[in-house]
Amino acid sequence: MMEEASRGVDEIDILFFEIGGQVYGADASQVLRIDRSLPEDLALPELGPLRSGGRALVFETSQGESHLKVDVVQGVRPIPVTELRRLPRAASAAPFTIGACLDQARLVLLIDLVETARTQGRH
Amino acid sequence: MPSENVLEVFRSGLLTPLPRAPSFLLGVTGHRGEVLPVVDLLRFLAKGEARIMPRTRIFVGVSGTYVAGVVADTVLGLRRILVSDILPPPVGADAATEHMLGVVAGPTAEETINLLNFSKLLQTARQRAVTR
Repeated sequence: MMEEASRGVDEIDILFFEIGGQVYGADASQVLRIDRSLPEDLALPELGPLRSGGRALVFETSQGESHLKVDVVQGVRPIPVTELRRLPRAASAAPFTIGACLDQARLVLLIDLVETARTQGRH
Repeated sequence: MPSENVLEVFRSGLLTPLPRAPSFLLGVTGHRGEVLPVVDLLRFLAKGEARIMPRTRIFVGVSGTYVAGVVADTVLGLRRILVSDILPPPVGADAATEHMLGVVAGPTAEETINLLNFSKLLQTARQRAVTR
């Protein structure tokens, strides 16, 4: 019990997924489920060209459910909050890039799924 | 570039591209536990584009509170230059001259070394990135 409580404070569950061969992460608590994608689902070419786009991350927005097409869902892993970083001020990227996490040798951009729907004018 | 603007040089590793970032911002990389934006000077100065090769290096440039990595094909080394040897940059040559401190004679009579004003360069890069 104590262990779970301390884990909740020190770690956050990140869902890792791929678009166009690039790995991204999102707060797993935003994701309701993973579905097979449909043609009308949201695509975000700025994250890379979809290869298959066969899966969709389903998440909740203020207007209801939204679906983001991805190529691969790698899974969910707990990441220590000490491994999470803000993006530097000089790197003004898209508003849905909320930070990065240092995952072993690579840097993985963290995506705010709700913001992706907003920037696409879906919500 | 003045050595006071350079913190260190390291071998280029994996770069993570940033969506909607200006083209001269190649991406970010993790370095010593921090996120470092990486700039392609050639693209910034409209002189082509850098290619990441095995010998490619990234030097960490700093100006005030801003820190950025800059792609370099090769790092040649450190050289002491007398201030009196620095000539003003050629007037109106191209847009790159506004980011130069001056020029000095190179190792051969035909070669010159362009000295970059890194503080101004980083300031302009940040402005361009923010005002997009």
